[in-house]
Amino acid sequence: MTLLGRDIAEVEALVTDRYLDSLLAAGETIGLVDAVPGRPRRGLTGGRRSVTALDEAVRLASARLTRDLPRFHPSFRFEERLAVRLAEAAAAMRLPAAAGAEGHATVVPFQPAGLPDGADAFTAFEPFDPLADEPDDERDDIALLANRPLLLGGAVAASAISLAGAAWVAWRRSRVRTPMGRAARAAHALRGRPA
Amino acid sequence: MARPVFWRSGAADDSAPRIAHLDHDRHLVEAARRDPERFEALYRRYLARVYSFAYYELGDHHAAEDATERTFLAALANLHRFDERARPSDGDGASTFKVWLFRIARNVVANERRTARRHPAAALDDATGAIIADPLDVEGDAVRRDEAAAAWQAVGRLPGDRRRAVVLRFVDELSTAEIAGVMGRSEGAVRVLIHRALRTVARDLGARGRGGRR
Repeated sequence: MTLLGRDIAEVEALVTDRYLDSLLAAGETIGLVDAVPGRPRRGLTGGRRSVTALDEAVRLASARLTRDLPRFHPSFRFEERLAVRLAEAAAAMRLPAAAGAEGHATVVPFQPAGLPDGADAFTAFEPFDPLADEPDDERDDIALLANRPLLLGGAVAASAISLAGAAWVAWRRSRVRTPMGRAARAAHALRGRPA
Repeated sequence: MARPVFWRSGAADDSAPRIAHLDHDRHLVEAARRDPERFEALYRRYLARVYSFAYYELGDHHAAEDATERTFLAALANLHRFDERARPSDGDGASTFKVWLFRIARNVVANERRTARRHPAAALDDATGAIIADPLDVEGDAVRRDEAAAAWQAVGRLPGDRRRAVVLRFVDELSTAEIAGVMGRSEGAVRVLIHRALRTVARDLGARGRGGRR
């Protein structure tokens, strides 16, 4: 695009922008019904006086979108449920520490299917941060699987203790220290042999 | 509307005052910072806008609800990180809290889109049910639904940035400066995005033979 062409495009964009501003301003002044498709939401004629050079097709498209793109409201049930959730979160923010937060938990990364060899869930992908600017392009779905580490605390310790206990019992049972015990084992072994 | 005030920037050696804009949500934000339970007022004010943005982007009510929930929970949890001072480049009338909130929503939606790989054009067709029916004008209702569906499809077919800019402008009624803040672009770039989007929509609707019908 030439410099002149770019200038023209920017001027047209500026004119369109002014027209849209006037639409919004007219809507604020008139206060027409929102979220009712099929009914003009804002003063569509309010901006026409100030715009003479605006492309007719762009003006009509603006009018169509102003009329046909309503603002939706979620269900009342969702609104109230989220309000309760936010209130709970707000109450929790006042507490110095959540119950159990003082304990220790071990974070055990797991290997999601499809992840390259040698990569674990923590080093392969960054966790999602809603405040960090996200690129809008697509990223592999595997990233989302990998963003969910498995948190294991007491379960690992309990399993380890159980296994160690079972091994200790088996070891104890295999060792016979007393003479009486040795005699009993020998008698038991002889009983199984053919005469 | 934002109230412009003179603000001396934080650096001690910066002697020149610059204009900053304190948005109309300032008192609500300060109250929520003092007492997180006061965040509800901000939530009620922006719920429909955030939800609509998510719905137009994701094309599914459930996914939009998820994104809305994550947006507000993230906003509440990170309210202490919000800096209400707008830059001069944000322009008059820029609401910094609104921009900040929509930036979070944009990031959450982008993340959600990667999860579901949803495309808004298909699912938004179902939204024609939201049009309030007039029992005395059945034919008119059908025409309105048809026209609304055509407009939504035209918007849904726009490339991502243009679609987002159009939704923020027409549905959420953000100013160009605010959209620039949300999308991380210059105002000029946003103006051109919207202008090109409108030309594309006009061509699309015109090709269907309904471009000029009201």
